Amino acid sequence: MSSEPSIFFSDVNERQGSFLRRTFVLGGLTALGVLGLTARLGQLQVVQAQEYTTLATANQFNFRLVPPPRGIIRDRDGVIIAGNRPSFRVLVVRDETKDLDQTLDLLGRLIPDTLERRRGIIRDVNAAPRFSPVPVKSDLTWEEFAKVNLYANELPGVMADMHETRYYPHGGSFAHVVGYVAKVSDRDIKAVRDKGEEPSALLFNPGFRIGRQGVEAALDEQLRGEAGGQRVEVDARGRVVGEDPENSRPAVPGKEVVLTLDTDIQNRALEVFGEESGGCVVMDVRNGDILAMVSSPSFDPNLFVSGVPSNIYRAWADYERRPLLDKAIYGTFPPGSTFKMTTALAFLDAGIDPAERVTCTGGYRFGARTFRCWKAGGHGSMNMHDAIKNSCDTYFYHLCNRAGVDRIARVAEDLGFGHSYEIGIAGQSDGIVPSQKWKREYTEATSWEDDPKWYPGETLSVAIGQGALSVNALQLAVMTARLANGRKAVQPRLIKSIDGEPYAEATFADLPFSTEHLDIVRAGMAAVANDVRGTGYRASQLGLGDILMAGKTGTAQSRDYKPGESRGPRNAVWSRRDHALFVAFAPHDAPRYAIALIIQHAPAGGSADAAPRAREVMKVALLKDPDMRARIERPLPREPEAGSIIDEGAAPPPPTAAEPGSAAAEAVPVSPDPPAPQDLPGPQPYLPDPQ
Amino acid sequence: MTASALTRPGERDRLTVKFTQIDWRLLVLLCAIAGMGAAMLYSVAQGSWEPWAAKHLIRFGVCLAAMLALSMVNLKWWFHLAYPAYFGSLVLLAAIEVPGLGYTAMGATRWLDLGVTRIQPSELMKIALVLALARWYHGATAQEARFHWKLIYPALMIGAPFALVAHQPDLGSALLLGMTGAAIMFAAGLSWKIIVVAGGTVLAGVWPFIQFVMHDYQRDRVLTFLNPEADPSGEGYQIMQSKIAMGSGGLLGKGYGLGSQSQLEFLPERHTDFIFAAVSEEFGFVGSFGMLLCYLGVILISLRIASLSHSHFGRLATAGVTATFALYVLINGAMVMGLAPVVGVPMPLMSNGGTVMLTVMIGFGLVMATRVHRYVELPKGNGLF
Repeated sequence: MSSEPSIFFSDVNERQGSFLRRTFVLGGLTALGVLGLTARLGQLQVVQAQEYTTLATANQFNFRLVPPPRGIIRDRDGVIIAGNRPSFRVLVVRDETKDLDQTLDLLGRLIPDTLERRRGIIRDVNAAPRFSPVPVKSDLTWEEFAKVNLYANELPGVMADMHETRYYPHGGSFAHVVGYVAKVSDRDIKAVRDKGEEPSALLFNPGFRIGRQGVEAALDEQLRGEAGGQRVEVDARGRVVGEDPENSRPAVPGKEVVLTLDTDIQNRALEVFGEESGGCVVMDVRNGDILAMVSSPSFDPNLFVSGVPSNIYRAWADYERRPLLDKAIYGTFPPGSTFKMTTALAFLDAGIDPAERVTCTGGYRFGARTFRCWKAGGHGSMNMHDAIKNSCDTYFYHLCNRAGVDRIARVAEDLGFGHSYEIGIAGQSDGIVPSQKWKREYTEATSWEDDPKWYPGETLSVAIGQGALSVNALQLAVMTARLANGRKAVQPRLIKSIDGEPYAEATFADLPFSTEHLDIVRAGMAAVANDVRGTGYRASQLGLGDILMAGKTGTAQSRDYKPGESRGPRNAVWSRRDHALFVAFAPHDAPRYAIALIIQHAPAGGSADAAPRAREVMKVALLKDPDMRARIERPLPREPEAGSIIDEGAAPPPPTAAEPGSAAAEAVPVSPDPPAPQDLPGPQPYLPDPQ
Repeated sequence: MTASALTRPGERDRLTVKFTQIDWRLLVLLCAIAGMGAAMLYSVAQGSWEPWAAKHLIRFGVCLAAMLALSMVNLKWWFHLAYPAYFGSLVLLAAIEVPGLGYTAMGATRWLDLGVTRIQPSELMKIALVLALARWYHGATAQEARFHWKLIYPALMIGAPFALVAHQPDLGSALLLGMTGAAIMFAAGLSWKIIVVAGGTVLAGVWPFIQFVMHDYQRDRVLTFLNPEADPSGEGYQIMQSKIAMGSGGLLGKGYGLGSQSQLEFLPERHTDFIFAAVSEEFGFVGSFGMLLCYLGVILISLRIASLSHSHFGRLATAGVTATFALYVLINGAMVMGLAPVVGVPMPLMSNGGTVMLTVMIGFGLVMATRVHRYVELPKGNGLF
């Protein structure tokens, strides 16, 4: 290099030499750096490769819970009462959003109503675990769903998917008996933990709903099914990019539950209530199947599935007619005159002659107090049949202490009052059947009254279904069914089968009453509905040919009246009106269906408010029965024959086939067809042949 | 020496002859690195030329042409333009501070809004600083370069742009400028005494700087780097995912286009700062080591070119460009491997992004020009031009 012209001066040489040395150092440092990086590469990629491969797999694959479809609930004909329907929803994962506020702003542009619920959404999202998706809106329209998917890239942490949601196609009809599902609350989780079990992962799934009332709550375990697992390949945003079917396990759907209810009867039963409050139960008297069980006013259980808006919930909770309360099995009422069959049976049991007459002058003086009959002018001379037909209070006041309250209570319990039933759902009230023992215990348990002794005057109130007596609509229906079906102590049944397997089919014991006694009471009920002077005559005409109804009206005080106060003014304050009740069975000659209907604080009374409604419901039940239809649609013209069924019902003819001395024979003036009670041990099995 | 006769003093330059003087090994390595970059950009876009790979190749083609053109520019023109380029860049850097001219994005004002386009003066400064320092040392004696009060000049030349860029704030670029400047001062023959004292001062000042001067997000990055597992979803996420990507690649990699971390977007910034992790995942230890060797090759060849230059300006300018390039590679490599904080330094020629590629290729234009014009005699040049 000495020939190079640029190197003439020592200084220049020194600079170059220094530069070369330093450059050598720089090159060495760089090489050292690269060596360091290589060592690090070796550590990561050779030594720790296994460890990081595991982490990468954990990133890449996710085990996703596959929620099982909830079991379907059907009515006795297979009509869906509670089913599942597909629904599009939007979910937000807090940890994947860069800025929750900003994300919700953007989402609000796509789905405006998320803006209104923004505070609630933020609360929900913040309350959820960091990586778990929180549904912020269900039931998106297709357009909204498509929009969210379209803008998915601008909306990190937001995803839209399709899932199955619970659906109650009949709205409020089954709201109380079938119940509803709702979001899992912390209390549910705690309840599981308190039982010493670990709550299943399913409970934490964002779309999962737990049964809250009625059948949905009672059979929650069976309806729930088993969650499946799906191994999926996901990208960094949690979006599924691939599936791994070999390592997946399908979900086991919940079991199908078939109920004894009938959708048509149920819907009609809710319908007839209109705005009135109350409960109604329809039963098959032969096997105890509950065909309808309705509480009015009702609510839309579908709202609970996605969460009831607080203003609606407030309205439900604050409304004095209590839509959320089940008035068929939980709400109890004094039975009023519908209890008189029970009292009458107790009289017969005590050996009182049904032909014994009591003269009603509009009241009965007992001790220092006058107990008034509902008919101020009095009914005149009454035997047991007439007393039931006219619902004469005096008759029952007069005789009740010969039977005694304990006997009445025993009969009442035999007929179904005072206890709840194994129908598979919770929330029943036992009601109260007063007796001496009851009063003693009740007085001890509470400070209701100082005196634990039962006074005969109290028996008078119980005899006409007032006083401390309280029953629910299901108990009334059971009573009616037991009176109607001969002498079988039927038990109500609500659940027909679970997953195809029949649920608890019981054989019924006999009632401890003689058939003669039951016939007398039944005849009284037939007269109520079919004797033109019966309290329920006008409201009980079905108009279905020779199929007639037998029943009993009731008007029960909801409070004590002051002496001289007139009873239940029609336009009184709602909460101060009387309750109206009606129990009935049909056909009266070969009973199949029993109904009990209560209207809480009715405008008029049992005959005017409850009976016509019960009749309408009963009509549906009868018309759905093919045997009944055959009987109604039977060709009319027949050779005139004495005692033919066809011409009955037109006018109440004098009882021709009357049994001498039998009060019951007189009771069925409209129907000469059913033979006298003596001829048959129980209700005639249906299939009358006119020939 | 016939081939090189044209570049000797007093002889005419002929392009056809000059062209043969280009260092083809360097050219091939640069093309190989950029090609690998395009291949990885194609892969991380799930096997698509859009949106990165095609643009990357086009951009490289343009930059390559620019580099070749620049390598034909006589070193004396680089020499004459060194100070004007530096002061021009400094003015542009200062202009950013003027309200209304600076363009702010992501909390940092790094761009100068010219109306039609936005430029990043800190990138221009990376070349300009190298040229200016080389020019200054070209005129300085060995003693002045070693230990002299005049060293305040190069220190100020480094300090002014460093302060302006750090204020933007763009810590990555500022550090790169400072370290490049330091490398040039070192190569020029700075006294070991100064090196030890300055190095000690810098080390002692690191902790107070992190604690009191840094912005929160910068401090987060640094602290996260020290303990990435503490916050796996926030700042530590990038480092963790990058390490997972590299580690799971193993010795031979998962195969081209088959890296689950890169393909499923777990790897953040996989098309820019973290592209080297994608290489490591798909090609394993063997592939990433190969890439490091390519980079090392570029650096060593460039240093060799520097050492062969007859002018002190050419030597220092080439060494400066090489130092910048080496710093990019080492900082980015350390960053993706979890050895350095995430400071936003891309892997040159591989990462998607035009500004850095342009800077680097202009730099290599200078390196090539030094190689082609290695015999050029430059004046002492005490003036500004």
